Amino acid sequence: MASATTTPRRRSTDRRRGETGDPEQKGRGLRRGGKSHTVGRRREERAAWILALPFLVLFLTFTAWPVIQSTFMSLTDTQARDLRTPFAVDFVGLDNFSQALADPIFRQAAFNTAYFVLVGVPLTLTMALAAALALDKGIGKFRSFFRLGFYTPVVTSIVAVAVVWRFLLHPDAGLVNTVIGWVGVDGPNWLGSTTWAMPSLIAMASWRNFGTAMIIFLAGLQSVPWSLHEAAAIDGANAVQRFRHITLPLLKPTILFVSVTTAIGYLQFFEEPFVMTDGGPLNSTISASMYTFQQFSFGNYGYAAALSYLIFVVIVIVTAIQFRVLRERD
Amino acid sequence: MRSTRMMLALTAGTALVLTGCGRDDGGSGTDAAPETGEEISTEDVAGEIDVWAMGAEGEKLPDLAEQFEDAHDGVTVNVTAIPWDSAHDKFTTSITAGTTPDVAMVGTTWMGEFAGLDALDPAPGSIDSSAFFEGAQETAVVDGTAYGVPWYVETRLVYYRTDIAEEAGYTEVPTDWEGFRQMAADMQEKGGAEWGISLQPGGVGSWQTVLPLAWTNGAEIAGEDAYQFDTPEVAEAVEYYQSFFTDGIANPSPPEGQTEADFTSGDVPMFISGPWMRGIVEDMGGEGFAEQYDVAPIPVPEGGTSSSFVGGSNLAVFQQTDNRDTAWAFVEWLTEPETQVTWFEETANLPSVQSAWEDDALASDEKLTAFGTQLETAQAPPSFPTWEEVVTSFDTEMEKVAKAEADPQEALDAVQAQAESIGTGQ
Repeated sequence: MASATTTPRRRSTDRRRGETGDPEQKGRGLRRGGKSHTVGRRREERAAWILALPFLVLFLTFTAWPVIQSTFMSLTDTQARDLRTPFAVDFVGLDNFSQALADPIFRQAAFNTAYFVLVGVPLTLTMALAAALALDKGIGKFRSFFRLGFYTPVVTSIVAVAVVWRFLLHPDAGLVNTVIGWVGVDGPNWLGSTTWAMPSLIAMASWRNFGTAMIIFLAGLQSVPWSLHEAAAIDGANAVQRFRHITLPLLKPTILFVSVTTAIGYLQFFEEPFVMTDGGPLNSTISASMYTFQQFSFGNYGYAAALSYLIFVVIVIVTAIQFRVLRERD
Repeated sequence: MRSTRMMLALTAGTALVLTGCGRDDGGSGTDAAPETGEEISTEDVAGEIDVWAMGAEGEKLPDLAEQFEDAHDGVTVNVTAIPWDSAHDKFTTSITAGTTPDVAMVGTTWMGEFAGLDALDPAPGSIDSSAFFEGAQETAVVDGTAYGVPWYVETRLVYYRTDIAEEAGYTEVPTDWEGFRQMAADMQEKGGAEWGISLQPGGVGSWQTVLPLAWTNGAEIAGEDAYQFDTPEVAEAVEYYQSFFTDGIANPSPPEGQTEADFTSGDVPMFISGPWMRGIVEDMGGEGFAEQYDVAPIPVPEGGTSSSFVGGSNLAVFQQTDNRDTAWAFVEWLTEPETQVTWFEETANLPSVQSAWEDDALASDEKLTAFGTQLETAQAPPSFPTWEEVVTSFDTEMEKVAKAEADPQEALDAVQAQAESIGTGQ
C-alpha cells in the first residue's frame, strides 16, 4: 500500500517540474500544475487500486473472510450440520472458550504441547547450532555431503520418516533397543509407553527439523567477521571464549529468527503424533492442534474454532516473549 | 471521521448478523414420523445418473454398472471413485453446496449425519428391508426411516490356530466366556504361545472388539434418543475384556501391525477380526496354512446369544437427484441376489442380501459360512450423528481399562457422562 501512494505523488512532482521549466510561465504553470496534479493523482490512484485489486480480492476472500467467519464461529455453537444455514446458530459468547479451559483432554493436550515446545525447541536449536559450527569450522572434507545429509530429513515425507522411526523404535526388533541391549539396558516399548512416547516424538521432530535451522545458522556464522576472531585470538581468547563473546552475540538476530519460527512450528505440532501414535497411549502425545483437528472432524466447528484461537493467542504470547528476551539491546 | 463511520457500519453489520442468528425450533427433531419414500416407477428408467463410491468399490463398480446399462436402454451410469480419506469432507461439502450425486456408497456411521442434513431420500417401500441381514439393515435406518440399503457387509469372528489349539487339548473353540478365556490361557501355557489372544488394548476402533462382547451379554448401547453405556451388561463385558489383560493372556501394549505375523508364527494364536484377514494370513502363512487355522463365533456368557459387529457400506439416493427412478432402480438392481453374488466374485465383498448366501460361490466355503451365520445376529452401533465422537471417548476409556487397570464401571460412567454432554445430535 505504501508504494502505491508514494510513487504517483513523486511522479506528478516530476511532471510539474517539467512544466514549469519556463520561468515566465511559472505562476500560471504552478496553478495549472496544481490542477493536473489532482487529476493525475486521482487517475493514478485509480490505476493503483486496479493493480492492487487482484491481491485485495484474494486477500479478502481467502484470508480476511475466513478470519471473520472463524471468529464468528468460535462465538457460536456451529456444528457440521449447520453448514447449509451458517447463520442459523445460537450465539454462545465465550462458552466455547471456557469449555475448552475446563476440558480435561484439551488441558492434557496443552500440557503435551508445552512439553514438546519447551524440550523440543532448545534441543532442535542446539543440534542445529552444533551441526552448523561443525560444518563451518570442523568438517573440511565432504562438507556438502554432510550438509545434504543433515538437510535430507527436512525434505523427506513425514510418512516415510514415520515408517522408518517405527522400525527403529520397535520394542523387540528395533535398532534402538538392540543397541542399548548390547550395554545391558532393557529398552522400553518407546511408542507404547506413556513416559517414553513423547520423548520419542521430540527426538524424531528435532531430527527432522534441525536441518532448516542449521542452514540458517550456517549463513549467520559465515557473516561473523573473521577479523574479530583474529583480534580476540591475539588478545589471548581461546575458542570457547571467542564463541561465547563473539559468535553468540553476533548470531543473536539469527537465533531469534530460528527460535521464533521453530517455536511457532512446534506449538502447532500435529504430524508426529498423527502418524506415529494417534495421540496415544492414553492421550500422552495428543497435541493441541491434533485435538482441534479431531473436534473439527467431529463437526464441532464452533468449539474447534475457539480452540484454534486459543492456540493462536499462545503463539502470539510466546513469540512476544522471545522477541523481548532475544532482541538486540542497543 | 471516516474510521468512525466505518466502525459504525461494522458494528451495525455485526449486530445484524448476530440478531439473524439462532436456531429454528422446528426442523428435524426426534419426533419426526417414520417415512417411506414415494413409489418409484420402473417405466422411466433412462438417462444419466452420477454415482460416487469409495476405495476398491469405486474402482470396480464401473464394470458392474456396465451390466446395468446393458439391461436398460438409454441409461448411463457415471461412477466417480473417491478416496476414503477425503470422502467424508467431499460429501459434506457437496451437501452444503447442493452438488450431490444421484446415488452414493455411504459409510454406515455417516447415515445419521447425512440424514440429519436432510440430504438423503427415504427408501421406497418396494425395497424389501427383510431381505437384508437385520443388523445391517438397521445401519440404514435413522429415526425410524430407512434412508438407504446395505450394499455389502462384514463382521468379526475369532480366528484361531487349530494346530496350537490341539496341542493345548482343544478340538473346537468353547462357546462360553469362561471356556474361551481358559482356552486362550491354555494355548499360552501348553501350546507354547507367547500370548493367548491378540485383543486391541483400547485406542481407535477398539469398540469394535468390546461392544460385540457387550451385545452377547444382552446390552443395548442406545435407546430411542440416548446412549446407555453404564448398564451392568456393558460393565460385565468390559470386566471380561479387562481380565484378558490383567491375567496376562493378552498383551496390553502390542507393537503395531504385528497381528498377522504373530498369528502365522504362532506367537499369538488367536485374534478377532473381519473376513479380509483370511487372505492376509493365508498369504503370509504360505501354502497349507488354510488348514492350520479356523474361525469361530464370538463367545457368549451364560444365557446370551452370540453377536458381533456388522460393518460394511450402504447405498443411498440423495434428495437432490433429478433422476430418482433410475437412481433407485440402480440401487435395487445392486441388491438383487444375482448382482450381489457377481459383486462378491469381483471384490470379495460379502453380500448384504441373505438369499445371496445360498449361492454355491458362498455356500461351498465353510469359513465364509461361519461369517454368514454370525451376520444373522451381528449388530450395528446406533445411527446417531454423534456416534464417532462418543465412541472416541469410549476408545480412550477402554485404553485406560486395558493398560492402566481402570475400574470398568468408572470408565463406563465417564463414557456415559461424555456421551450425555455430547448428546445424540439428532
